[in-house]
Amino acid sequence: MREKMLIAFCIVAAILLAYNLYVMLLVLPDEVSQGPIFRIIFFHVPSAWTAFLGFLAAAVASVLYLVRKDLRYDAFAVAVTEVGLAFAAVTLVTGMIWARIIWGIWWTWDPRLTSMLVCWLLYAGYLMLRHAVEEPTQRARIAAVFSIFASVDVPIVFFSIRWWRTQHPQPVVWGGSMDPAYWNTLFLNWIPLLLLGAAMAGIRLRQERRQRELEALRRMAHAL
Amino acid sequence: MDERNFLYMFYGFLAAWLILAVYVVALAGRERRLQREMENLRRMIEEKQKEAS
Amino acid sequence: MKAAGTQAETAPRTTARAQPGFLGGAVAIAAKDLRSELRTKEALNASLAFSVVILLLFSFAFDPTAEETRALAGGLLWLVFAFAGALILTRSFARELPNDCLDALIAAPISAPALYLGKAVANWLLLMAVELVSLVVFGIFYNAPWTRRFWPLVGVIALGTWALTVVGTLFSALTVNLRLRELMLPLLVYPVLIPALLAAVQLSGPLALGEPLASDMMVWLRLLAGFDLIFTALALTLAETALVG
Repeated sequence: MREKMLIAFCIVAAILLAYNLYVMLLVLPDEVSQGPIFRIIFFHVPSAWTAFLGFLAAAVASVLYLVRKDLRYDAFAVAVTEVGLAFAAVTLVTGMIWARIIWGIWWTWDPRLTSMLVCWLLYAGYLMLRHAVEEPTQRARIAAVFSIFASVDVPIVFFSIRWWRTQHPQPVVWGGSMDPAYWNTLFLNWIPLLLLGAAMAGIRLRQERRQRELEALRRMAHAL
Repeated sequence: MDERNFLYMFYGFLAAWLILAVYVVALAGRERRLQREMENLRRMIEEKQKEAS
Repeated sequence: MKAAGTQAETAPRTTARAQPGFLGGAVAIAAKDLRSELRTKEALNASLAFSVVILLLFSFAFDPTAEETRALAGGLLWLVFAFAGALILTRSFARELPNDCLDALIAAPISAPALYLGKAVANWLLLMAVELVSLVVFGIFYNAPWTRRFWPLVGVIALGTWALTVVGTLFSALTVNLRLRELMLPLLVYPVLIPALLAAVQLSGPLALGEPLASDMMVWLRLLAGFDLIFTALALTLAETALVG
């Protein structure tokens, strides 16, 4: 991703964020039952959406890698998975802070938080797996297979944990509908997060390319 | 109670940005490491080329 | 490396027989693995010993006679099965590493999915054996009347074990050449398996205590069966990629 595009993304993101923060903190009224803590949702939910987008993109990239055998797809997969993992962590931590205030406990086995935790473990495993393989082509192949398994698993995880929690109801972090006034800010806050995520993935992608160039250089250096 | 509510809201915002910042710092660290390796390799190649000539 | 056709053509003297079909190949591999394991009993013994030790430890940690512990029966059983299973699954492809047996297997005129399926079936049978013995021990320690619902319980355990085996055998193939393989395999398999383990635990809990399943539990059965189907298909599709590349 070109330097200029990266910087442009970051600047647009910063501007949008500033505007959103202004709206969030000063314009919107407090939610009736929850108070100020409610505003966390503007980061909690879009982060989750960004994480899922990252994981979905990783799945597609993994399949494409296995089909085309082009290492660039592998680079894309690891970049978006890492970014997805960061946003998933944001989702988890903001969810926990919210739960602490609303329910008084840090963890409530809320179906969505719990499923997100499992996703986080899956993709952290993906990164760990990559660390264990040195050879790039082998690493790409093994990682791609695991990524596909993980992605197929994600919807099943969500369904199973939701059914589990339906049988043993527990406090849900966020359940019902929201005032339409809030929807706008929610979506509007998603855009800067997406832009930031794209910028981070772009940087990571560039680093993967640089790493491959390095390896080629190293081979040349040792051949001399 | 309301004060703690407000405080935790800021903690929440802080946590979100902290986590993303940690990742950016990790990216920066990686960038630096890559630069260093690039430099080392280039130096190694130059030396070997000088030796060969 | 597609050796399926070439070996027959280049060595006519030694391959007068027809190529083994898919099932024939899988059965041959399963038989080989079972025979080799039953002769040494290494993984079987380790697995069994491990499961008994865990059951024992849990008896110390949680009062085996208390009502609350009986409610944990399903979870306890599947924790034991999952940990014991990891031992068997890691060995599955690891046993082929010495003397380049793995390379020989890959070069053999048997398709990768057949090779994978054979190993998966062998692992499943071995794990089922360990689990049945564990059930007996569990019944004794916890005074649980598990034989009352014997066939439903065995059915659920069979499905759950197949889920464990299907994913575990494929990941065993994937991680066979990695250092820290014994650690990586459980770490990768367990999160993927969470839906299946959840279903198995929910279903085994009442059954292991001799109680019937409520009708709203049938969703778990469908989930478990669905999980098995989906991941078996996925594993067979990706077996070649996982083994060979």
